[in-house]
Amino acid sequence: MKHSMKGFLSGIALAVLVTPAIARDITIDLAGEPSSLDPHMQWNPDSYYVYRNVFDNLVTRDNTGKIVPQIATEWEQASDTELTLTIREGVTFHDGSPLTPEDVVFSVKRITDPEFGSPQLGQFNQITDAKVVDGNKVVLTTAGPYPALMAQLVKLSIVPKKVVESVGNEAFNAAPVGSGPYVFDEWKRGVSVTLDQNKDYWGTAGPFEKAIFRAVPDAATRIADLQAGTADLVVSIDADAGAQLKGNAKAKLLSAPTERVGYVGLNLDKPPFNDLEMRKAASLAIDRLGITEGLLQAGEVPMAQMSSPAHFGYAPDIPAFEYDLEKAKSITAANPELAATPAVLATAPVFDQRIVQAVQQMLNDAGFNISISMTDMPTYLGIVRSDPAENSELSFGRWSCACQDADGIAYPTLHSDSNWSRVNVPEIDTLLEEARVSLDPEVRQAAYTKVHQMVRDNYYLLPMYQAAVLYGAVSDLEFEPTANESMFLNRMSVAQ
Amino acid sequence: MNVRIPKLSTVLSWWPAWLLLALVLCAVFAPWLAPFDPDRQNLLARLKAPGFEARGAIYQLGSDELGRDILSRLIYGARVSILVAVLSVILSGVVGVTVGMAAGYLRGWVETILMRLVDIFLSIPAILLAIITVAVLGPGFINVILVLALTRWPRYARVAYGQTLAIADRPFVTLARSMGASTPRVLAVHILPNIVGPLLVVATLEFGLMVLFEAGLSFLGLGVQPPTASWGSMLSTGRNYVASAWWIATFPGLALFLLVLSANLIGDRLGDRIGKGR
Amino acid sequence: MLRFLLHRGGQALIAAFGVVTLVFFIQRLSGDPTALLLPETATQADIEAMRVTLGLDQPIWVQYFDFLWAMAQFDLGRSFVQNTSVWEIILSRVPQTLQLAGGALVVALVVGLPLGLIMALTRGKLVSRFVMGQVLAFQSMPTFWSGIMLILVFGVWLRWLPSSGTGSLAHLIMPSIALGLLSLATYARITRTAVLDELGKDYVRSARARGVGTGRLVRRHLMRNSLIPIISITALELSQLLAGAVIVETVFAWPGLGLLMVQSVAARDFLVVQAVVLLGAFVTIFANLAADILYSIIDPRVRLAGKL
Repeated sequence: MKHSMKGFLSGIALAVLVTPAIARDITIDLAGEPSSLDPHMQWNPDSYYVYRNVFDNLVTRDNTGKIVPQIATEWEQASDTELTLTIREGVTFHDGSPLTPEDVVFSVKRITDPEFGSPQLGQFNQITDAKVVDGNKVVLTTAGPYPALMAQLVKLSIVPKKVVESVGNEAFNAAPVGSGPYVFDEWKRGVSVTLDQNKDYWGTAGPFEKAIFRAVPDAATRIADLQAGTADLVVSIDADAGAQLKGNAKAKLLSAPTERVGYVGLNLDKPPFNDLEMRKAASLAIDRLGITEGLLQAGEVPMAQMSSPAHFGYAPDIPAFEYDLEKAKSITAANPELAATPAVLATAPVFDQRIVQAVQQMLNDAGFNISISMTDMPTYLGIVRSDPAENSELSFGRWSCACQDADGIAYPTLHSDSNWSRVNVPEIDTLLEEARVSLDPEVRQAAYTKVHQMVRDNYYLLPMYQAAVLYGAVSDLEFEPTANESMFLNRMSVAQ
Repeated sequence: MNVRIPKLSTVLSWWPAWLLLALVLCAVFAPWLAPFDPDRQNLLARLKAPGFEARGAIYQLGSDELGRDILSRLIYGARVSILVAVLSVILSGVVGVTVGMAAGYLRGWVETILMRLVDIFLSIPAILLAIITVAVLGPGFINVILVLALTRWPRYARVAYGQTLAIADRPFVTLARSMGASTPRVLAVHILPNIVGPLLVVATLEFGLMVLFEAGLSFLGLGVQPPTASWGSMLSTGRNYVASAWWIATFPGLALFLLVLSANLIGDRLGDRIGKGR
Repeated sequence: MLRFLLHRGGQALIAAFGVVTLVFFIQRLSGDPTALLLPETATQADIEAMRVTLGLDQPIWVQYFDFLWAMAQFDLGRSFVQNTSVWEIILSRVPQTLQLAGGALVVALVVGLPLGLIMALTRGKLVSRFVMGQVLAFQSMPTFWSGIMLILVFGVWLRWLPSSGTGSLAHLIMPSIALGLLSLATYARITRTAVLDELGKDYVRSARARGVGTGRLVRRHLMRNSLIPIISITALELSQLLAGAVIVETVFAWPGLGLLMVQSVAARDFLVVQAVVLLGAFVTIFANLAADILYSIIDPRVRLAGKL
């Protein structure tokens, strides 16, 4: 009765709401408001979901993950430290002025200027110089050989020099002007950002007249919005939340594996995990497949290395971690006191608490004595980045560099220089440095494979799984989620 | 021998008190009442409906998102929800009443300083205090109580202050003072017993509020640490499963509702008896 | 009266100053925002550079005096996260907050006053008890629960109201109900007490003796005379509503000051938090002041200087 009533009522609503026009608006529920619409400022998903549609990047990745032209039509490694890019002609900014190589140079210099203080500086500070040559080409100079350069340029948005210089950074952030498929229309602080289709876009602009990005902090509300038909696409949900949509003919789930890797960090300076056997027991105790298939269920894949198939540097031959609770128990039984050393698993509310609790249970089943410490994000970051002595024994984390290169994930989590890393192994350091500066893909791949194998053998930390991204969408929205979690409106379509 | 047997209707009319008592007993005897370990997970039996049977064990009220028995978590959750509320009421009550009585009795600059302090604490948002307490002291059961006490003591201070002001000049107080009773003695022996009624009403109503506040902290990720169950944390998880697994939220929601409602009803009844509502 | 106002106003200012100072220091105990602002790949050097950019490398007392100096010039600074003037951010949220607080107040008054009246007029009868039970039941559910249930019933199932967000009067209805239910019981109780007080007075008895009907009595005398305590409690409730809307705003994606504060605390956006707290402190303190003045008008026995 309830269902037929609901169907009846939604039928009425459908008849009222559906307009015959093919072109339509899209409403997207994000978890938070964009912090910034200036693509050279804030770096977080809620910001780039929006501004990546307003700006073109130097290059981009297609849906398969291959780096393809966008503003740069072709590129060539002129020397070990020089990259020459040819700039697309006939591209105009939303104010009608043409996009020139000078704008590209300006964008590079702006984001790499320490005075400007971009949070993304660390991703581009290998670039020491940019200049225009031959009228339509730009040469980028790097401090040394830098193989991840192209992967970073995927994230370099081109801003109009004239506009930025004349209005200033603050006004530009409030009313950004780009060259992308959507034109900034309005930013209602705290409520929504509205974009309009760029009718003069040089490429495909996508099917939407208008795109409205709203900030909806509660996941249950985002799902309700989708069910109620007030949102067309919602982000940041898990498979259990997605299950609420089951039986709803008007909504569906879209998912894809990403370049985000979930892992359990271990404190190698404190008992019990300063002991190799204990680390091995911990790894044996964790049922990774149980977690991905039984719990997460959104297409996550168990991993045994700090990279994923979406990364350059992924080593397909690294064997999966074994799950054997009995073996784990026999190891801890040999040294029960060490295993029972009280250990804290640090986490934050943004992470999936189901996994954290499952890991705790699995470890405790094997004879460990783990308790969970959930604090808000800044506190959590403070804990996991502190000195080993103050650090927690364990931490749960999910890592993405949005560059799809092992350099962006293995280096920060495994190199002794990084304050994220609790690993201090000279050989790993050497290999990571070698891979960071070599322009030879084979040399790099070999180095990463060796690093992955050493991590696998010594359990320096415990990679868990390749995360999946899950979106809820109205059923006629066609959209292929990508590994770098970007959301390009012009790659979406509406089924007829 | 003159034992008066209360009328059945009188006994029944105090049902909120009996209900509260039952919930408290439930909390006290949790280990004997709960069929399973409340934190025991089973990823193969996630989100099972009430009555589901796995390996010969029956999930009477279903299982949650990690395959834990809802009934057992409900019974153990009573401990956390009730204990947090009771302890935070006691802590904030003791602090608040002391401050309020001192301000109302001593007057002068003590009054000014203490009551401005009350104003200051009333104007700092509870959520800010909560986040910062957790950030500085770390998360956990004790700190949740601390957060609640820290944000609620001014309420008692105001009531105690007003009540103390009203009776501080009464003859029996002046008499005690003239006979050389010390300030703490006057406060404890002569004033406190005369203002305890309204304070009790406030405390009862606050108890219900504390249960709700604890739930709110859980919702914001600042409550007791997982996997420990509280009704608030169960409900706040369960609200994400309303369509697919209604039982996760329904049972703790009902328990929480009844607990808070009975505290509110008792507080209201007490208020009527004492003649001073809120 | 003027002396009283100056006295209390001065004290209120000192209290506001105390709040801001306290918040300034306890916030900085809780870590800083740099790690959150930077991408995961940031190095220690990047973090140090960001601290310099934000001025967080200065000794804390230098930061404090800078802050006081800026305050004296009504400069609230710039948000670390949004890189925008804090004034602009706060002012953009004030209308939403006022709407929600107003809506909740309307719900609480429109439902609470009649219920209180009914309870007073039916005192000692079963009706009175039943109504009280209802009123208390409204107050016995966490808002994060009643909120999502409202959304699921009226937004998703019946589709009578928009499920979340802002923009129209229809958007305001559900958040107002969710928030208003919390103050409803307070109003119902106050009304009941006030009306009962009035009912015991001589003029009511003599009016009754003259044969004035209940309806007329309520209209002509009771409501008007009971209104003063209700107005004075409104001052207090209003400040609670402004501050206490955090969860309702989160659930309904309502961009008010409560939500702004939660998000700013979580991001350690110190200057925004300070500004919201300062605003809240002023509202709370002056609402209390207003309530005190009202009390003194109702009941001249309350000595102004002595009351809090």
